[in-house]
Amino acid sequence: MDLQTEVLIIGGGATGTGIARDLSLRGIPSLLVEKGDFTSGASGRNQGLLHSGGRYAVNDPDAARECIAENRILRRIAPHCIEPTDGLFVSLPEDGPEYRANFIRACGAAGIDTLPLSPREALAMEPRLSPRIIGAVQVPDGAIDPFTLVVENARDAESRGARILIHTEVTGLIRDGLRIAGVRVRDRITAEAFAIAATWVINATGAWANHILRMAGLQIGLALSKGSMLITNTRLSERVLNRCRPPASGDIIVPNDTVSILGTTSLRAEDPEHYEVTPAEVTFLVDELSRMIPDLKGERFTRAYAGVRPLLQSEGTNDDRTISRGFALIDHGSCSGPAGLVTITGGKLMTYRLMAEKTADFICERMGLHVPCSTHVQRLPGAGHGHTLKDRLLRLRRQTPAAKGEILCDCELVPREAVDAILREGKVRELQDILHRTRLAKGTCQGGFCVYRLLGLLNERSKADHRGGSNRILKGFLEERWKGIRPVLWGRSLKEEELIESIYKGLFNLTPAEPGGPGGGEA
Amino acid sequence: MKRFDLIVIGTGLAGLTAARTAIGMGAKVLIVGRGMGALTLFGNTVDLLGEIPPDTEMEEGISRWIASHPEHPYARTGWEGIESAIAAFQELFPPPYNFAAAGRGNSLLPTGAGTMRPTWLIPVTMAAGAAMTPAETLIVGFRGFKDFQGDTVSLHMKCRGVTLPLPRYGLEGLTAPALARLMDETSFRERLGEAIRQQMAGERFIGLPAVLGLRDPAAVLKTLETITGARVFEIPMLPPSIPGTRIFHRFREELIAKGATFRMGHPVSGAVVKDGRCEGIRIDNPPLVAEYRADRFILATGRFLGGGLWAEMERIIEPVFDIPVFQPGERGQWFGERFFEPEAHPIHRAGVVTDADLRPVDTLGRVVLANLRAAGSILAHHQAIEEKSREGIDIATGFLAAKKALAL
Repeated sequence: MDLQTEVLIIGGGATGTGIARDLSLRGIPSLLVEKGDFTSGASGRNQGLLHSGGRYAVNDPDAARECIAENRILRRIAPHCIEPTDGLFVSLPEDGPEYRANFIRACGAAGIDTLPLSPREALAMEPRLSPRIIGAVQVPDGAIDPFTLVVENARDAESRGARILIHTEVTGLIRDGLRIAGVRVRDRITAEAFAIAATWVINATGAWANHILRMAGLQIGLALSKGSMLITNTRLSERVLNRCRPPASGDIIVPNDTVSILGTTSLRAEDPEHYEVTPAEVTFLVDELSRMIPDLKGERFTRAYAGVRPLLQSEGTNDDRTISRGFALIDHGSCSGPAGLVTITGGKLMTYRLMAEKTADFICERMGLHVPCSTHVQRLPGAGHGHTLKDRLLRLRRQTPAAKGEILCDCELVPREAVDAILREGKVRELQDILHRTRLAKGTCQGGFCVYRLLGLLNERSKADHRGGSNRILKGFLEERWKGIRPVLWGRSLKEEELIESIYKGLFNLTPAEPGGPGGGEA
Repeated sequence: MKRFDLIVIGTGLAGLTAARTAIGMGAKVLIVGRGMGALTLFGNTVDLLGEIPPDTEMEEGISRWIASHPEHPYARTGWEGIESAIAAFQELFPPPYNFAAAGRGNSLLPTGAGTMRPTWLIPVTMAAGAAMTPAETLIVGFRGFKDFQGDTVSLHMKCRGVTLPLPRYGLEGLTAPALARLMDETSFRERLGEAIRQQMAGERFIGLPAVLGLRDPAAVLKTLETITGARVFEIPMLPPSIPGTRIFHRFREELIAKGATFRMGHPVSGAVVKDGRCEGIRIDNPPLVAEYRADRFILATGRFLGGGLWAEMERIIEPVFDIPVFQPGERGQWFGERFFEPEAHPIHRAGVVTDADLRPVDTLGRVVLANLRAAGSILAHHQAIEEKSREGIDIATGFLAAKKALAL
């Protein structure tokens, strides 16, 4: 199978799908390839924070202005992906009143609304805050659901003619003289290899940018910064909580539906694929954020995860917090590289739409087209459908009459019907794809119970197709799950872990190499 | 104030065994527990040591194991201790619902994941599982009963499987306890047996989820076997466990009948300690705190799941007496990099270290409280999940702890 397109986009994160959508709205055909599932990189591994721009107001006014502008646009085009929680910038005695005054002034200059609050007012709004606070400032922060955002960008692009191939990895660039004329790819599930011819190849792979560029003998100055985060079992605050001090590690708590996400750290990473959350990072985050929420230590943590930020490198700085969070659009043809290859990287989730706009503007200009961008006004297709717990409960009541509603995941109330519908659609290709598209395994037990049930459903299908069974998928899931929970195993999470190990290693006798017995071995 | 000869803390299999052993020795016993213990989660068969290959005789295998594992709880009881404790357990379950070993070594039984699992004593409702062959077996699941996925079992075991709608009720989202109670009704199980019979294609064995009744499982088995003409067996599945609940009920019935005092549902909030001895325990029953006194105490509160151990971010503690806990390194070393490792995660070796009489000791080997003993999975230096020794450790050390406590 060989394919052909006008614009080939590499990367199924917010930037790549954003570009596909922008181009599709301008009538330009594109094809997007992603080696994993959507949001496998930093788009799916961030704190889910809809920045007001306050965090950057004092040190990087341009970034702050960009943030607040995109904040307002995203609220308009993707209201269903956003919980408009607002945020507080909280001053502890050690943060001092001076920074707070600067902060309010800088927000004003960047056009970010602020509402100064007394300690008493702030504590009345967020009772779990430390009584030591000396003040707080309210800003229009919020929580954002990046997965829905990305999937909807993709869905909208597809409905306008874009093509998207997930689990499809770029293995090489095709050269035609001084031009890049397309890519060679490999289907990661079927191992089928094929070529895609394209006039333009856009490298929107974020932290993997140099991985693609190396195929053309190119390299850009990109620093990889690992940020680790923790998820609590309950929601700690109604609003986003930030420390009112120069941006540092361990200073943000973002509410996310029924839980909270604590972050982040910033550590130099070498490889965007291989990194882990260390015990020292976990201890640091819990200690540091306990300053804002003193009883944090008694909280149950369900999971830890990390993402890798692609930071554009400038000369002479070693602190990744001071490296610009700005983005760069590089036309390699105009800087002694092959023509037809463009890299868009750096930036952050907040500016994905702007990054897509600039990229599409560039392509239009080169194609000699004059079609303006409309992604800042065109709402995403799912706008109007909510994803909060309340919405899910209402949908559940509507969709599944009590008589036949089987709930697969008791923690997150995922009905069997929801998984059946995804399977019927036929696009998912592995277990993780299903987990990505539902809230299955995202709750307290982190899939300990429901994955057995999900597997039963999948086995029912493979039986219908006369395929054999295997516990390989189950064991693969347990290993993936392990990466997330291992860093937070103490207290109540450890109790749960003993339960899960007792089930899978004890009761079900699953072992690294499964012993024989009648059909007991791996299929 | 009530005074007892012995207070047992913990209502899992270790605590229940200790209490029953003490009652049998004529002691006045109080047994207290927060919940029904791990029995009702994982209790199915009685494992002694699954690691021993099925073709090795159990006595020989365990004796050799003890020689190479001098810190293991079995090294405290010895094979003789295990043997007499197991015999006492078997006496509590006379036929028709009895527990027996299928051979002279471990037997392999099918599980809810379609794997085979080694075990020692098998309840009569699971016995046929050790004799079945895939070609002659039909696996039956129930539509809407999500904690037993029949297709997963039959696919892995390479035998035929069917998923039946439930007669009469046809409810979806049924739980194991609800199903077990339905099985206790004669008319329900007769109709189910009939429905299974219609699906059979000459099979000699039928595997069902382990829900064959709470009151009289042997009668449920008999009904199904009579109607289908095949041998029927239960397959262990996701918690909660019906077979484990049966074991719990049998113990409780026996203990109450023999005069033990049973207090459930309230946590032990602390101990009264004086001159190196435990004088009493406090039980929270808000708004009251009750104090109970005894001459001897047995701590059988389980591991992390049961609440016998608690992991803070930096160290592992024992919450009732705050006695020393053996801990393998700091938090970063508690767990291996992968979920499935060749060896158990180091944290599973954590626990209370004792002397030969099961009295907890400190790092220098000194007895902490002269009249306190520890029994069951709270003990250090076993790997019950991986070794498959949970029930054996509970029964053998619960039995020994009571014998030693009352020998004073």
